[in-house]
Amino acid sequence: MKPERWQHVERLYHSALKVPADQRSDYLKQECPEDEEVREEVESLLSFESSAGEFIESPAVEIAAQLLGEEQIDDLESVPLGSSTPSRFRILEKLGAGGMGVVYKAEDIKLRRTVALKFLPPWSLRDPQALERFQREAHAASALNHPNICTVYDVDEYQGQPFIAMELLEGQTLERRIAGKPLPLRELLDMSIQISDALVAAHGRGIVHRDIKPANLFITSRRQAKILDFGLAKLQGTESWNRQQVLGAQQTPRQDSDTDTSISLTRTGAAIGTASYMSPEQICGEELDARTDLFSMGLVLYEMAAGQRAYKGEQLSVVQNEILNQAARPVRKLNPRIPARLQKVINKALEKNRDARYQSAADLLTDLQSVREAVEHPPRWKEWTAASAAVLLVLGAFFWFFEHHQRTNILPAPKLTQLTFNSFENQVTSGSISPDGKYLAYADQKGIYVKVLQTGETHAVPKPEGLKSKDVDWEILPSGWFPDSLRFIANAHLPVQDASPSGSKTTTIWMISAANGATEKLRDNAVAWSVSPDGSSIAFGTNQNRSGESEVWLMRPTGGSERKLFSAEEKVGLVGFTWAPDGKRAFYVRTDDSGDSLLVRDLNTGSVVLLLPPAEAKDVMDISWLPDGRLLYSARKPGALFDCDYWTMRLDPHTNQRFEKPRQLTSSIGYCMSNFSATAEGKRLASLRWAPHSTSYVADLAAGGTRVLDKRHFPLSESSDAVTNWTPDSKSILFVSNRSGLNGLTGTAFPSAIYKQELNSDVAQGPLVVPPDGVRNARVTPDGKWVLYFGNGNGTAAPARGPEPVMRAPIDGGRSQLLFVAKTFSIITCGLSPSAGCAIAEPTEDRKQEIISAIDPLQGRGRELARFDLDPGEEDSDTALSPDGTRIAATRTPSGPIYILSLRGETPREIRVKGWTNLLSVNWEADGKGLYVSSGTRGARVLLHVDLLGNAHVLWKNVGATGETLAYPSPDGRHLAMQGWTSNTNIWMMENF
Amino acid sequence: MAAPNTHEVTSLLQAWGRGDDDALQRLVPLVYEQLRLAARRYMARERPGHTLETTALIHETYLRLVDVRQVKWQNRAHFLAMCAQLMRRILIEFARSRGYQKRGGGAVRVDFDRALLVGKQADFNLVALDAALNRLAQVDERKSKDVELRFFGGLEVKETAEVMNVSVDTVMRDWKLAKVWLLRELSGGRHREA
Repeated sequence: MKPERWQHVERLYHSALKVPADQRSDYLKQECPEDEEVREEVESLLSFESSAGEFIESPAVEIAAQLLGEEQIDDLESVPLGSSTPSRFRILEKLGAGGMGVVYKAEDIKLRRTVALKFLPPWSLRDPQALERFQREAHAASALNHPNICTVYDVDEYQGQPFIAMELLEGQTLERRIAGKPLPLRELLDMSIQISDALVAAHGRGIVHRDIKPANLFITSRRQAKILDFGLAKLQGTESWNRQQVLGAQQTPRQDSDTDTSISLTRTGAAIGTASYMSPEQICGEELDARTDLFSMGLVLYEMAAGQRAYKGEQLSVVQNEILNQAARPVRKLNPRIPARLQKVINKALEKNRDARYQSAADLLTDLQSVREAVEHPPRWKEWTAASAAVLLVLGAFFWFFEHHQRTNILPAPKLTQLTFNSFENQVTSGSISPDGKYLAYADQKGIYVKVLQTGETHAVPKPEGLKSKDVDWEILPSGWFPDSLRFIANAHLPVQDASPSGSKTTTIWMISAANGATEKLRDNAVAWSVSPDGSSIAFGTNQNRSGESEVWLMRPTGGSERKLFSAEEKVGLVGFTWAPDGKRAFYVRTDDSGDSLLVRDLNTGSVVLLLPPAEAKDVMDISWLPDGRLLYSARKPGALFDCDYWTMRLDPHTNQRFEKPRQLTSSIGYCMSNFSATAEGKRLASLRWAPHSTSYVADLAAGGTRVLDKRHFPLSESSDAVTNWTPDSKSILFVSNRSGLNGLTGTAFPSAIYKQELNSDVAQGPLVVPPDGVRNARVTPDGKWVLYFGNGNGTAAPARGPEPVMRAPIDGGRSQLLFVAKTFSIITCGLSPSAGCAIAEPTEDRKQEIISAIDPLQGRGRELARFDLDPGEEDSDTALSPDGTRIAATRTPSGPIYILSLRGETPREIRVKGWTNLLSVNWEADGKGLYVSSGTRGARVLLHVDLLGNAHVLWKNVGATGETLAYPSPDGRHLAMQGWTSNTNIWMMENF
Repeated sequence: MAAPNTHEVTSLLQAWGRGDDDALQRLVPLVYEQLRLAARRYMARERPGHTLETTALIHETYLRLVDVRQVKWQNRAHFLAMCAQLMRRILIEFARSRGYQKRGGGAVRVDFDRALLVGKQADFNLVALDAALNRLAQVDERKSKDVELRFFGGLEVKETAEVMNVSVDTVMRDWKLAKVWLLRELSGGRHREA
């Protein structure tokens, strides 16, 4: 093209750009009617205009530099994946790379766990001692064993290149999470509270992070915050930018200005990422203390709240100047939804003078918790009054009062504090606050801890010598502290062989010192229940029978001087003897064939009063005396797994009779609480709070289906996943998961969307179906075409209280459709062979019979297949269609037997499961020759293989599980998928009452 | 590799400025090494997710190499233009070497290009861009130079205008047209020789 024409093209191109895109063609014809070549050229160029956006906008050198910088680290890639070169790790895949190194997913061959390996650039080691220092610090932080600190397993070198082996996390950094947008307030508070709690623990040990910033904070897919890279800041030398460096950076341009090349040489943008989160004292190169982390935390809070950095300078000197001399723009100007209280917290954290700042992470934590509480329970409080006992007020602020009217004066709002931060993988099992309120003694699945509440410091109690080799399930008793707050008692439960309830036969009582963690065994073959209010006696049970303990005994705190208080009649079990605060009465639970009852015994006269008969007591989770003498208890809503209400009961001090009807304090709070312990002055109440979590597993079947091998968590994820069943080819499982989004305040979401995942893949497909109302009881039809489910999940695991819409969705995704509406409390069950199809078990209106009907995925409810009688009052029955669709297995009551009904008119038969009761669920083995049955025991669910003669083999003991544990064989009979419910369980404290 | 002698680099630059192409050949590895070191220092202080401050990086590269007090450049513009040209050479060689290294020769579509070219249909590589830029120079040398300065040299619009001795507006107009022209060229779109 000749230059003149090219100039013409150019002119036309620019003028055409000013014309709306759809009119350009006409415009060109009008402007350049005669020269078609020019016109075509312009049009052709214009057609690339919309896609030119970012093209070559970033200078080439930027990317080149990053690649150059990584080159050396990248060389590791020449180590083939799967090789085990770096010491004992086998690299599996590369997870990511950046300036601070490359991160790989790897297998620790020795310990057989998956880890993340982070290789640091060799130049990160400034001197030979650096690695050692870093090692020390990283280990010190890990040793805190804090759930919100990423655990470092090892720090080592491979061919001169340092690497860190650490906990493999799934999720994203806070930096990514923020991505320019403010976080939802609750998430902001949850995350910052978790991070602050970790800082409390680290600072308590004198460990300062020095580089708290969004890129170093991680949010797992279970919404657990994790602080990364403790000790790394020091290693990198980014912990302080000393004066010379700052001056040096500023002087450079002046030095150059003599020459013509006076290019504004700013200190690198590289440092900006870190520099924007530095405290003033860090910039000034002063000696650092824990308060530097609190300033950085203030900047992180700001960014979470505003969606942008508090100090936005793009050059080191600019941002440093801002941090030193400017106040950040009020966060509420950027995000008006931030409460003023939170703005105040942020401002205080961002005080430039560290003496004016938060002085400890604990103070920051407390303030954040008050903000959260105000956010979660805002208005009603003001309407409540101090008219009745203060305790009621505290509970009321948290929950819902039904009866309460008078208005007098207003009390300060109660304060809620989360005291433990364990994940569902290591649940807190019990705990108790000391009478003076200084300590929390608690147990999780690994051991016992004493947490100093003021500092957050947590000490693990060393396992006693005698129990070293044993798998112990510790139980801290809510009434287990002595009045001096120096010692408490705990039960050490040993594993129970036959899955009968754990009791005195397998339990020893221990005395533990809060000061030094010293342990002393007080008694074998006994289960402790409580310490008397004056600290002179320990009540314990012994002589275990089928229902509980048969005798209540007392002993001195040092052990010995035992005397029997009373014993139960034959076949009656006693549990949980607990003194009233006046020391004159005690409650206990009495168990017989009719169920549990709650009784109060006058310890002087021995007279006994029935407080809660079995019908009322059956859903009671836990009970405790309040310091004012009332009883506080939590009771599960009928049919709900994790929805409890709070009740109180007042007793007549003379007769011990109920003074009035139990009073319900709350309504549907979405979780349950137990283990209530109050401080002596009655101002603080600690309790265990649970939220559900579902985990699924896959194992290989062996020994004729009576054993499982190689049980593995599948899908491997932190989300709540519940297997529904297999695809017909036995290659993939379908599961329901909450990974597509959490709801609720605490991440307590129930699985609500359906996914599919191949057994040998790490990635799930889906969500295939995301119904607005959640998913319950999802099943894939044996032909693999449809998913059937109840469409009224409502985000809870509780069975719906109304008719249940049966929904149908194509398995490969697509719209869900209502198939028909089933009766309340129905169950969908599917066979394995395509001819078996699926069926629905529906109770009749009067709940006297269960009717099984076929489901036609195209037409709706099909013909009736069978019906059988239900036991009155029982809601916990389960029904399963056999793989070939010819039989039904059903439990009518948890005590068994299991009924096998033929759909071909053969005689029904009963299976009595030998040695097991409390049968919660039933499903068929793939060949129809046996059943998978789950049985509930204390603190566990046991999955059994039961042959048709009733012989049972334990396949899996799902420790810590609640609800049902379910099993689904693959159609080819080679694998078993299993699903159970556990819970996120932590201790919370209420104050100000 | 030992740190290059600044005096040596300076003389080479001057020689190249006088039109000695051999000097350029000898400069490239020296500057490359310097760039590599600079990049590495930056990366060591850098964390994932932050972009580098390009000017600082480039200038650190040059200033460490060139004893600026000894050089009386015609002007700053000349110096920047030479740097951009030099950088282009270096980056192209770098892209070539990486391409071969990673794929065992032949294919040169490497991470570098993917990272570089955000446009979805930008299915080409840096070496191809270099070639396209040479073709653009035949159609419109100023626009080609514009891209060299801004994309390879990392120069700001203002600096580019200064070097080219045109207005900022002109640089922007040139830049816009050069982008679509190159994009079309690289996309295997309509191709017309002048």
